Amino acid sequence: MKTVDIVERIEGEAKLNLTWKDKKVSDASIDFLNFRGFEYILENKPILDALVYTPRICGICGQAHLLATVNAIENLYKNSGNELQITNKAKILRELGLIIEIIDSHIKWFYMFIMPDVIAISKKQYEGYTPLKGEKWLGAQKGASEIIKALAIYAGQWPHTSYMIPGGVMSDPTLLDIVTCENYIDQTIKYFEKDIAGISIENYLSLNSFEELTLLSSSLRDFVDISFETKLEQVGKAHNRHLVLSDMIDVKPGLYNKKISNNIDLAKIKESEEYTFNINKKDNKKAHTWSKSVQYNKHFYEVGPLSRAVINEREFITTLHNKYDDSTFTRVMSRVDEIAHLLIYSKKLIKQIDISEDSYIKPKIDLKSLENITATSSVEACRGSLVHTLSVNKGLITKYDVITPTVWNLGPKNNIELGVAQKAIIGSKSLNESKIILRSFDVCSVCTTH
Amino acid sequence: MAYDSQEMVKKVFNQNSARVDTNKGEEFYNNLFEKTKARLSKLRKQPALKDIDIIDIVESEGVNRRDFMKWASATTATLMLPPMFTPLVAEAAELMNRLPVIWIELQDCAGNSEALLRSSTPTVDDLIFDVLSLEFHETIMAAAGHQADAQLEDAVEHFKGKYLLFVEGAIPTAMNGQYGTIGASGETFQEHLMRLSKDAAAVVAVGSCATFGGIPAAAPNPTGAVGVMDLVKGKPVINIPACPANPANMVGVVLHYVLTGQVPELDSLLRPKFAFGYRIHDNCERRAHFDAGEYVEEWGDEGAKNNWCLYKMGCKGPMTFNNCSIIRYNDGANWPIGVGRGCIGCSEPDFWDKYAYERPMADAHIKAPTGGVEKTVDEFGLGLLTATTIGIGVHAIASAVVGKRSVNNGESEEA
Ligand code: SF4
Ligand code: SF4
Repeated sequence: MKTVDIVERIEGEAKLNLTWKDKKVSDASIDFLNFRGFEYILENKPILDALVYTPRICGICGQAHLLATVNAIENLYKNSGNELQITNKAKILRELGLIIEIIDSHIKWFYMFIMPDVIAISKKQYEGYTPLKGEKWLGAQKGASEIIKALAIYAGQWPHTSYMIPGGVMSDPTLLDIVTCENYIDQTIKYFEKDIAGISIENYLSLNSFEELTLLSSSLRDFVDISFETKLEQVGKAHNRHLVLSDMIDVKPGLYNKKISNNIDLAKIKESEEYTFNINKKDNKKAHTWSKSVQYNKHFYEVGPLSRAVINEREFITTLHNKYDDSTFTRVMSRVDEIAHLLIYSKKLIKQIDISEDSYIKPKIDLKSLENITATSSVEACRGSLVHTLSVNKGLITKYDVITPTVWNLGPKNNIELGVAQKAIIGSKSLNESKIILRSFDVCSVCTTH
Repeated sequence: MAYDSQEMVKKVFNQNSARVDTNKGEEFYNNLFEKTKARLSKLRKQPALKDIDIIDIVESEGVNRRDFMKWASATTATLMLPPMFTPLVAEAAELMNRLPVIWIELQDCAGNSEALLRSSTPTVDDLIFDVLSLEFHETIMAAAGHQADAQLEDAVEHFKGKYLLFVEGAIPTAMNGQYGTIGASGETFQEHLMRLSKDAAAVVAVGSCATFGGIPAAAPNPTGAVGVMDLVKGKPVINIPACPANPANMVGVVLHYVLTGQVPELDSLLRPKFAFGYRIHDNCERRAHFDAGEYVEEWGDEGAKNNWCLYKMGCKGPMTFNNCSIIRYNDGANWPIGVGRGCIGCSEPDFWDKYAYERPMADAHIKAPTGGVEKTVDEFGLGLLTATTIGIGVHAIASAVVGKRSVNNGESEEA
């Protein structure tokens, strides 16, 4: 038997095709059927225009795209032997922007995208999570609106700000701006303590064993209870291979494939279009989605908060991962766990800002003078590692390639291996469960296809 | 050539305001007032689609009646209505639960929905989420899958001819629309839009993608993307461009509709005049520096530190109509020019190809919007103009003292 379902309440829409055998999913494919063509649009545009284009790939992770573009352009300078000098202040303001966006996204994802489905499979009633009405849902909407103001203060707006430029940032926040920004972060810490974890952030960060799950209360406790009631710790297992490509937001790059290694070589990344529609090749019979697929060293890897926690050996998540592998339960817990780490880390970063430093140092050479150069950058976005590769000639973009985290997680299979989310879904016993497994990757169709 | 004269330059850049004058005189407003009152009392008699009372919600959020009225008066001003309408605006807010709204996402980045989710100016989020009867919104509603499809069909059927259809995202028309399909049946975005707009009272295009095709329509427009008004005919279409569109303007359109049962007055690009009758440049806090010829010449220079005008860094404020210099973003937290980056003209048609951003108008040989030969700012001789101080509006002088806003109290400046 085959079923075709539409998954909404993600960013955009995905089509989930399942084949059933003995009441279990025996095959799955995930189609993304919306395409805009950013890579084509960017060709022949002036290089710096990319700074306003790429953030519009996604209304959720625009900061990550902006930073990836800035880094790629700065790497162009570097590759031509003209490395730019960036002040610490500018670096911090950029990283802080990225972090605030991730926190915002995780809060919203947990309450608006995951919990409404999770409560539906429980036998108990959890009315607080009902979209548009439940007090927890509304609380999350407010919580997310508050934290994002920390960024708007010095970036001008969100989504789609473009305050970063090669050489630094455009804005020059005052001490008052910085204090206001920190205030919003403190507010969010309170929100985390009261609504999300139900315990103080210090206590939360000291959790390090499976037994201590019982210390949680509030929303995270609700999630844990429902997970064990419905066995989310046993489903959603993919290859259990993990990858982190960049070294921002307090993580180091590395990969996990039974054990951790910290040697990463971006040249080992390879994209494929075997199952992907192509605007110029209309005769590919196998094509069923606009998403490409991507491998590292010939294997599919998962990216995202779980991967970051595992590779950086964060104690609490590592214990859960040791016990339950890359299950749906572990995946959701890692996302929420990252909120706490990033809140504390962002406070640390703010303390290091020296407002007397320059925001921007002008590059000594003109971008237009660079001929036939290519550069790559990677950034940790809310959903995982993001890669931009940019080739330019005499001031114009000749090629722009974007590999979003969702391509790592949700891209189609190849003839050797199943795709990450595809593998996770196969074996599932119900449609609702399959959808929750899919959601646990934080699906974004607009990112995946761009 | 004659247009390049100093007179022309003065006119384009220094005229007091290009703001559209929507004042229609006392008689008009008295008339409208009576009509609105009648409409509101009729609405009140209709059953609420949601049994939620705005005042309860407002109070449970710790906002008192006075703050609510303050919000209403600011919103009245935003809608360019005289102050006597304030109590009616407040009442309309309470009656928003009589108006069904369906929100669909096409070729988009979800940024406009995100912006909406991030709006929480005292009570505005409550208005939207608790009171507004959002019958369908793919990203945030409770239902998903087939259940969601059914919910959409129900809403269309039940509120035939009554609902407002909000559209986010462009519509790809190349390759028979195969660049964007939706739902289990694989309906194209275009078919989807046409079907749902047929029974709508009016269609509201939110964001520059839905209004003018936006980013997907940027050259070479690989998917043949167009905006809503290119396809939907014989039906009121309201455009709320900008990238993302400002939630305050989305709420404004809904309120206006509740108040009057009509779409607000629109400009030639179908943008509500209450929001797009302002030129960024005319209400910009840096305008005095423009008039004084004080420009940022390089990011991070002394001018940047002193919040001088960003024109030479590529600011498109002089050719962009929008009210973000007044209402700002993220509940008034700030706006691009407030943090020292120029306006990119995101509410203007084709801004991607025409303006984008790193094309400083100052040395990029541009054409002034009123025509004439391409010149640079310096060639236009703005320096000269500053000596004359002709045409500097009072607001420009006022904005000199406002300077950089460091902390925001969450209210619009018009409040
Ligand atoms: S107008 Fe901007 S925010 Fe809205 S969908 Fe288009 S790119 Fe996204
Ligand atoms: S910053 Fe832009 S909008 Fe403001 S005065 Fe200068 S040119 Fe005009």
